[in-house]
Amino acid sequence: MPTYTDMTRCDGCGECVDICPSDIMHIDPVYRRSYNIEPNFCWECYSCVKACPQNAIDVRGYADFAPLGHKVRVLREPEKGVISWKIRYRDGRIKEFAFPIRTTPWGSIKAAGEYEKPDAAAFGTQMLAHEPTALHIDALPTLEQKTIPAKQAKA
Amino acid sequence: MFSINPFAQVAAGLSAAFMQTYVVLMVLAVIAGTLFDVAHKGSAKFFERRKKESRARAERELGGGEKLMLAVETVAEAAVSGEFCKWPRRLSHLLMMYGFILYVISTACLVFSYPDNARPDSALPALWTLGACMVLVGGLWFFFFLRVNVAFDGDSPFHVGRADLFVGSLILSVLSALVWHAMSAAAANPAAIWITFGIYLFFTTVLFGTVVWSKFAHMFFKPAVAFQRRVEEADGSSDLPRPSTENYIVRS
Repeated sequence: MPTYTDMTRCDGCGECVDICPSDIMHIDPVYRRSYNIEPNFCWECYSCVKACPQNAIDVRGYADFAPLGHKVRVLREPEKGVISWKIRYRDGRIKEFAFPIRTTPWGSIKAAGEYEKPDAAAFGTQMLAHEPTALHIDALPTLEQKTIPAKQAKA
Repeated sequence: MFSINPFAQVAAGLSAAFMQTYVVLMVLAVIAGTLFDVAHKGSAKFFERRKKESRARAERELGGGEKLMLAVETVAEAAVSGEFCKWPRRLSHLLMMYGFILYVISTACLVFSYPDNARPDSALPALWTLGACMVLVGGLWFFFFLRVNVAFDGDSPFHVGRADLFVGSLILSVLSALVWHAMSAAAANPAAIWITFGIYLFFTTVLFGTVVWSKFAHMFFKPAVAFQRRVEEADGSSDLPRPSTENYIVRS
């Protein structure tokens, strides 16, 4: 289900261009509104749909579940951590779904560039950059060191 | 510079009626351009059809008081550019919007109330200069750093297209106005003053005369669309899903 932009809603803010992992959301040079330059290459990750502050990006549903004339609209509620989907079928039936999108408030995750530059010595450790803080623990568990009796070591 | 009426200098060489006629012509150009834009692009038909469709889907009829409240909310949102999610974009637009309002109103007051008074006993020249400076700061910030094709699409800051017609002519209009005003205030060479005045008139004419091709009319359309969306949300005809009743954020 590739995405497309409703130009009457689009504000031309560029959030979708910024977030699209396959770089197919671009800016129309005449009207300066976003558009999907290559729907066939859309990864269907819906990052743009979730990021759009104007709810301007819709999803073009596949014919098997939403035939021509359908409409798929998305509502982002970052303050609740919810993305809701509404599908209006050609015969007027409506289905709505709501999914949690994250367990932390919108905007609370720092981008990689916002972290302090790590100490060069950190490259030598086994831990990932954000550990153990991101795991909400004081320290990672370690293997218990056992001394091997001399007899077993010889065998 | 903050106490001198730049238009009084013009009245010394041209009649006061010249600038007054020019201002009226520019107002008419904006009205005609917007009406032509509405008719040519079919915007009015599109919004009327959308209104009819939403009325047919509406779950309840809104009262006059409710609509008035929604209109007030829309105006309040537009007054602070609440539709923008990022503060630099919002701030630059606010600078341009309020600067433009100050600039236009003070221009009209100076041209019609003090056509040949070089030092009017009012704050109008200061407001005119302040408005132009606000537009210039907000406009240049937007043009060089915030334009979406520059900030996200990798275009050069000097890349210009049709979408830049509005912001470009606006920046050049206020920039030439400030240069002309500075030269008048400094009593520079009269020929140089008249040349900069001509440049100012040229870019101002481009700004107000190209409404059909530029983004000028978005100032009128955006609040209208925002109001329509609020009405649709209130009467249940919005095509967006219903807001969730659950909060899924479990920790901060």
